[in-house]
Amino acid sequence: MPQMGVSVAEGTITAWRKRPGDWVERDEVIVEISTDKVETEVPSPAAGRVAELLVDEGTTVDVGTLLAKIDTGSRPGQPHADESDPPPPAEETAPEANGNGNGKAPPVSPVVRRMADEHSVELSAVSGTGRRGRVTKKDLLAFIEQDGAKPAERPLHIESPYKEEPAAPAPAAAAAEGERLSVMRRQIGEHMVRSLHEAAHCTTIVEADMTAIEAARGRLSYLPLVARATIAALREHPRLNATLEGDHLTVHEEVHLGIAVSLGEEGLIVPVVRNAHELSHEGLGARIKDLAARARSKQLSPDEVGGATFTITNPGRYGALLATPIINQPQVAILDLEAVVKRPVVVTDGQGGDSIAIRPMTYFCMSWDHRALDGVGAAEFLGSVKRHVEGWSD
Amino acid sequence: MPEITYLEAISDGLREEMRHDESVFCMGEDIGEFGGAFKVTDGFFEEFGANRVWDTPLAENAIVGAAVGAAVEGLRPVCEMQFADFIACGFDQLVNVAAKMYYRQGLAVPMVVRLPSGGGFSGGPFHSQNPEAWFLQSPGLKVVAPSTAEDAKGLLASAIRDPNPVLYLEHKNLYRRVKGEVPEGRYETPMGELRVAREGTDLTLVSYGAMVHTALEATEDIDGASIEVLDLRTLCPLDRDGILESVRKTSKVVVLHEATRSCGVGAEVASLIAEEAFEDLDGPVVRVTAPDVPIPFSPPLERAVLPQVDDVKEACRELLAY
Repeated sequence: MPQMGVSVAEGTITAWRKRPGDWVERDEVIVEISTDKVETEVPSPAAGRVAELLVDEGTTVDVGTLLAKIDTGSRPGQPHADESDPPPPAEETAPEANGNGNGKAPPVSPVVRRMADEHSVELSAVSGTGRRGRVTKKDLLAFIEQDGAKPAERPLHIESPYKEEPAAPAPAAAAAEGERLSVMRRQIGEHMVRSLHEAAHCTTIVEADMTAIEAARGRLSYLPLVARATIAALREHPRLNATLEGDHLTVHEEVHLGIAVSLGEEGLIVPVVRNAHELSHEGLGARIKDLAARARSKQLSPDEVGGATFTITNPGRYGALLATPIINQPQVAILDLEAVVKRPVVVTDGQGGDSIAIRPMTYFCMSWDHRALDGVGAAEFLGSVKRHVEGWSD
Repeated sequence: MPEITYLEAISDGLREEMRHDESVFCMGEDIGEFGGAFKVTDGFFEEFGANRVWDTPLAENAIVGAAVGAAVEGLRPVCEMQFADFIACGFDQLVNVAAKMYYRQGLAVPMVVRLPSGGGFSGGPFHSQNPEAWFLQSPGLKVVAPSTAEDAKGLLASAIRDPNPVLYLEHKNLYRRVKGEVPEGRYETPMGELRVAREGTDLTLVSYGAMVHTALEATEDIDGASIEVLDLRTLCPLDRDGILESVRKTSKVVVLHEATRSCGVGAEVASLIAEEAFEDLDGPVVRVTAPDVPIPFSPPLERAVLPQVDDVKEACRELLAY
């Protein structure tokens, strides 16, 4: 008997809307109750099959009294235990297959969860043969091989806007038929060429020890932590958080961080994490993940792809060590994160003693606009990024 | 290669090591002229003489203690416990003295304690136990448990040549029941490497000792499922990589052992998998073991306590259907 009001101590069962064996949805009315203040319909607290009604109609009981039992482990569509109807066809008895969070779906095992993520499979599309319709690893493998024949979606990667110049076409012995570039490719090309034409590109590189980041990042990628360190460095060196239009330099108060997201062969897009300086690295990680996912599914709004004050590009997963990215106009610098590689390095202990250690190392390559700043400013800024990265503390 | 019994393979391995290395000698109760309770050392007294085949008093603490001293001085004693159960009397010398000698004093203790273990023949609570888990909690000891004649000989050789104290569990129910082709001459089966007794893709059945044979029999045909059977062979050091490799392939695991359930090898293997291969699991890790009770004398009760072929089949079926 639910509590209907502060002063209500008891209630009377006016009518049961369900009888034992009936299927009831969560929040579906199961019983009518009257108290001295109200007459009301009471929704079921859970979906399941009504197992037992414990209080007869017309009976008055105290608040808190158990009224009925609902079996949440059974499935809808099955006949009552007291009916002899043949069960309806299997398709109708199939429960809402998976993970709808109402407590009656069977659990998804760790390996199935992981593989479904890896292959971007929507589990509700897979029919399960395990206990209570659970999707087993075998079911998923069969689905991926047959029904889900569409190629697994590429893993998310974020790539430098730097593009190698196309190799000089081979002498037209057997001239392959060409095709016109897509709109996106043409726009990227136009933008890149204009940037190279306008800005006085210069690239500065520092090496950083990623030990502290590696220890702190857990399951996150390096990107959000390095982004966080970059933002901290931008706060110390605001001249890098700027846009240059003609001969007019604007140093920005807020950091709106552009993150280059590769769309595969299609091209590249740079969604923006607005007010990135207000976010922790976890917050940045979540925002970047969201933006990248929506970038790939083409759900970004125009507001989300413009107005960055600084850009990070991160093609490191492919193992490249160095790159000279092209600045995303009208910003004044772009930071490129490359592969983290274990290398023997000389480390100095507290007493000044040197030794050789194996450390995860990386290069931060930043292209900057010599019109807006000079090499010292770029080096100071990168030194600051390095300091925040190597001295990372949560 | 000649086909010999598990018991003959143990004798063979011990004999080869004694012939080859004069520092190897045996000690135990009735192992001399009588040839041992199970006849593992039959003929040894005649071949090697009383100096290398010692009959000892019924005092396991003295056997193990004397062996520790001899090992520290450079000999390679092989002690026989008449039944594995009796090792309890030698526990202190083993877990406190032998196991910690290297840690405390940097001294090698190259000794082997042979433990005729296991039930299945109405031996009752003092003659049927599988005490391996006691020693897995004692860092410094190695523990091996061969299931085949070939491994029985090869692991005994490895145990004798190892600089650490090694407990060698030889299952009494395998002595004359299991036969196999065994290479002649000396060879070693490496410690710390499991054996894939049968390859499979749908479920991994992890076992060791006599239960490997139960495992193979039970899984010959379970509705056509492809079941991988792992024979751990060495319980310490455990072949973690070998176990995890199989789990990553099959995603379902049953652990089978004759020893009691709680805090046993099955618990260790299940924890390892939970820690290292959680994201590869497609069902709970299931144990099939003896319950936490002493082994009864009564044959039907003993059968009820020890894991049987049907128990293994049922557990595998359940997990396959999960």
